[in-house]
Amino acid sequence: MTENQPSADQRKANPLLKFLGRLGPAYALLVVVGLFSVLDHQFGSQSFFSARNARVIANSAALVAVPAMGMTMIIIAGGIDLSAGTALTLCGTALALAFRDYTVPVGAEDATYWVVCALAVGLGVGIACGLINGLIIALAEIVPFIVTLGTMTIFLGIGQVIASESTVYPETEHLPDWMRYLCYTGSNSDRYWFDWLHVPSSALIAIVLGIGVAMLMHFTVFGRNMVAIGSNPATARLCGIRVGMTTVAVYAFAGIFVAAGALLYFANVKNGNPSDGTGKELEIIAAVVLGGGSLSGGRGSVFGTVVGALIIKTIGSGCTMLSIPNTYTHIIIGVIIIIAVLIDGLRSGKPKWLFDRLR
Amino acid sequence: MSSLLEVTDVSKRFGPTRALDQVCLKAESGRVLALIGENGAGKSTLLKVLSGAHRCDSGWMMLDGKPYSPSGPIDAKNRGVAIVYQELTLAPDLSIEDNLMLGRSGTGLGTLVRGVQRRRVREAMRRVGLGHLSPAARTGDQSIATCQLIEVARALISDAKIILLDEPTSSLPAADVDRLFEIIGQLRERGLAIIYISHFLEEVRRVADDYAVLRDGQSVGEGSLSDISDDQIISLMVGRDVNDLFPHVPHEVGMPRLTLKNVSSSPAPVDVSLRIHEGEIFGVAGLVGAGRTELLRCLYALEPSYQGHVQLEGRSLPHRVGARRREGFGLLSEDRKSEGLAQTLSVTENICMGNHRRFSTLGIVKLGARKAETERLIRQVEVKASSGDQIVSELSGGNQQKVAFARLLAQNADIYLLDEPTKGIDVGTKAEIYRMIGELAASGRTVVFVSSYLPELLSVCDRIGVMSRGRMTEIRKAKDWTEEDLMAAAVG
Amino acid sequence: MKRMSLSAFCRLTLGLLPLLAFSAGCTSEKRTSGNTSVRKIAVIPKGTSHEFWKSVNFGAQKAAQEIGDVEIIWKGPVVESDTGSQIEVVKDMITRGVDGIVLAPNQKGGLVDAVEESVGEGIPVVIFDSGLDEGPKISGYVATDNFKGGQMAADALAKAIGESGNVVLLRYLAGSESTEQRENGFLEAIAMYPEINVISSDQYGGENSTQAKEKVDQLLQLHGDALEGIFAVCEPNANGTLEAIKNAGLAGKVKFIAFDPSDALIEGMRNGSVHGIVLQDPVEMGYQGVKTMIAALNGNATEEFQSTGEYLATPENMDEETYQRLLKPQIVD
Repeated sequence: MTENQPSADQRKANPLLKFLGRLGPAYALLVVVGLFSVLDHQFGSQSFFSARNARVIANSAALVAVPAMGMTMIIIAGGIDLSAGTALTLCGTALALAFRDYTVPVGAEDATYWVVCALAVGLGVGIACGLINGLIIALAEIVPFIVTLGTMTIFLGIGQVIASESTVYPETEHLPDWMRYLCYTGSNSDRYWFDWLHVPSSALIAIVLGIGVAMLMHFTVFGRNMVAIGSNPATARLCGIRVGMTTVAVYAFAGIFVAAGALLYFANVKNGNPSDGTGKELEIIAAVVLGGGSLSGGRGSVFGTVVGALIIKTIGSGCTMLSIPNTYTHIIIGVIIIIAVLIDGLRSGKPKWLFDRLR
Repeated sequence: MSSLLEVTDVSKRFGPTRALDQVCLKAESGRVLALIGENGAGKSTLLKVLSGAHRCDSGWMMLDGKPYSPSGPIDAKNRGVAIVYQELTLAPDLSIEDNLMLGRSGTGLGTLVRGVQRRRVREAMRRVGLGHLSPAARTGDQSIATCQLIEVARALISDAKIILLDEPTSSLPAADVDRLFEIIGQLRERGLAIIYISHFLEEVRRVADDYAVLRDGQSVGEGSLSDISDDQIISLMVGRDVNDLFPHVPHEVGMPRLTLKNVSSSPAPVDVSLRIHEGEIFGVAGLVGAGRTELLRCLYALEPSYQGHVQLEGRSLPHRVGARRREGFGLLSEDRKSEGLAQTLSVTENICMGNHRRFSTLGIVKLGARKAETERLIRQVEVKASSGDQIVSELSGGNQQKVAFARLLAQNADIYLLDEPTKGIDVGTKAEIYRMIGELAASGRTVVFVSSYLPELLSVCDRIGVMSRGRMTEIRKAKDWTEEDLMAAAVG
Repeated sequence: MKRMSLSAFCRLTLGLLPLLAFSAGCTSEKRTSGNTSVRKIAVIPKGTSHEFWKSVNFGAQKAAQEIGDVEIIWKGPVVESDTGSQIEVVKDMITRGVDGIVLAPNQKGGLVDAVEESVGEGIPVVIFDSGLDEGPKISGYVATDNFKGGQMAADALAKAIGESGNVVLLRYLAGSESTEQRENGFLEAIAMYPEINVISSDQYGGENSTQAKEKVDQLLQLHGDALEGIFAVCEPNANGTLEAIKNAGLAGKVKFIAFDPSDALIEGMRNGSVHGIVLQDPVEMGYQGVKTMIAALNGNATEEFQSTGEYLATPENMDEETYQRLLKPQIVD
């Protein structure tokens, strides 16, 4: 009780330190980038620390970060969404189907109209997936882990049904150029949104969405209620917050990010394969956790999540640059995740036995 | 004569704060020592040092004439020091027997000899008055009072020489308190030393022989209880004279505001009819489980179903928490830890939770207004926090309760439903809360005050109703009640 | 506490450094740093977990040694269905500034833009094993004639079951060009035998043996005794199929043709539960892939399509030297 007050006083006395403390995951990213830059310079291809690699990492991180933003909200609200991966590829498959069967070639009459319709379908599928999760969790009062474990395979199955158990290839000429080059990381200026700014469009989308979510979390009543139900649903209920409704809204909202993630995924691989999504949810959750999200709810940040996705992808890229085989890459990423969470724990006095010894 | 436990000049620092500053303490066999002090005075830290959870920075301890410096809770237990914590530490899914035997094995081989164990378990349970329960019963199904007694039984079974009880009565109804005291008396007869921590001076008087007072981590007085008055103890505790434990704020009882007609729910309340007025403090007494909490939760629409009518100034109300809150109902939960407050969030978040409507337009929070209002409330109820950003779990119990109170004020509630608002908080803070309750009534608010601590009900309330088995059995003006009458009505 | 967590953080992360340096050291021994005359060729398989790709690696290394001053960078996704990861690998290789990329695309459509990006950055691409959709200008395509391989499998199966009865085709993954060719070849050739009936050709065995085994278990359950023969189009599929056939007690009874060898399948051929394995030459594929790339880099004309040959091993011919070499191709550990 009283023992914690001195540290609190320190924090008050030093707002700079407090601000720096919030940047936790960013230090990890800096360390990882620094480490790989040095190692790559010594032993590798000397191409890790380059503008092109920054683009490649930004693009692949965006593919994880965008759906992870929805996951961040869910985790802050005390939930979890294991179905995010298959919901994402279900959306992607729906997009691929729309671009195969229901659109017209670019340049034809009404092309834009049909593209908008196709995107709306993807978005609708994403929100519907989230709504289903949210409704089951809120109405049946089953823990999110179980519900989404179920919907994970349900979405996979639905995806396989609409894709006829195959991969759906869209008509390439139906894809507008901006969509085709969403994940472009080359040196052709024409293929970026702003030809003076060589940042992949996918990363730009992630930045815009990230700022949006951060503002939502920080400035809106909905955002504050999300934190409330995540940290203690009983207290939230006591305070008149409609826990069930908020839960449904959070999952549905996260569905938007699943759909946005699906658009990026689709733009990247240019097809829809429903079974691609299995395993993606773990990468997404890892990004949130690396970014300081707490699986017991009430804690997490979009900024952290984006950094978390960058850390994962930076490690992957760095390992490729250093010719470290896949096997070691996996070990390193796993070690980093555990260390990051361990360090995060140090801030809140965990592990307890260590701090008891230090006293 | 040498004492069983002797603590000399023990100090413990956490960063720049001195939690314990050269504390001295003596506990004798066959006597009960009351350890008294406000929350944050260092009692819990001393307890943790004694139990081996913390190591002291300087000073020494002697147990039974030998140096005592436990390396951890297990070591302490083996040396004969047993602790019954304020927060229950039982595993809810285990049987009572398993909980009692947790951490100790029956034989050298580590296998449990069921027969021997069962006998010891039954013996210990009988001694704490739980002989009627099956040792195989699931612990989580027992009442809080029973769990507390199981904790005591756990201390007994470990052949302790010293038992430390950390506010054991804070969640016990009066009848169980009596039983506990009886048991403490028996343990004293058998030559054990008891260290008893409590805020309730009446209890201390009933159960203890000696006292030791801590304030701000220092020993400020010790001796025999027969040589000191209550007021002297209190002034030792708070470091100032507390002439009035129950500050009285004059207030006028006005027009009827809240009317209950045959309100029932399952399992409680049962058929409660009641009329409560503006500017009135209505006390609710009764045993734990009599339905007092359920009555408040029913009024606040937290429980899903009920029969009967709840009317506010003649209007019926929809049965939804949100709607009740809009009509000015505010509930202070008895369970600060798991319901009353979100422990992992900041003071500001907790105060504003559910009240954001006041600081927002179209769903966008005005952070400036929010900050100004919470800072005003923090000052008003005198929360001792470094800032509004401090995490609630870092605050002491009394300060946490003030945060919960501040939330009701932020809500600008008209009808305050207070469920054990002074549970587990120190005397000084209690007085502040009584004053706030009085001021609420003086400003025309209605207060429903549920408590197990009869002196505060008698001093603070205008009327007191007694609940028994879910029914409101009797309502009288506070001045027409005595503690004995209240007890009789509660048990009847 | 804040300060301490930071320093602890640094210490912990620094602790990782030796680990990274170690693993980097292990794998970069071949590298002659800074020598620009060494040409770096990235060879990207569909996945790194199957024996087949290790043989491709062997062939690539062999070509590199023969030519000299060529460094092979071997990197691919772990599982063969992970198109996203393979795109990442291609992009990383572009970043590394390799001189050429030899790629076995996971999906014929998914990799088009990555290859186009590579060609756009001036890095030529040779495709091997499996085809790519039209679009970017590639410098060559080295592969087994999978369609023909499928036809050979059909003929072998027809012969094994006496040219009449019910057969099953177990597909691999949708979108994998090479196996689709085999499937098409098989179906076209089997249609020549009027007495043979394909009772199932729409099941996908998936990317690993376990999934394939489950699928075949179900198929055997469904068709049971009426079944005469099975064709599994690739190695993981065939391993799972063999397990399922053995479990059902149908070994030898149901005729079984596999594509690509494995120890279990070779053993199966010895004891009569496998009746033929269509073989390709992965070593040759890696070898030719790198050779073609070097030729393209040297500005020599390259053939648009090079077949690396396809062979049918049967219990009768399996001990011949050619077939032994193909049944147990050399690999890089």
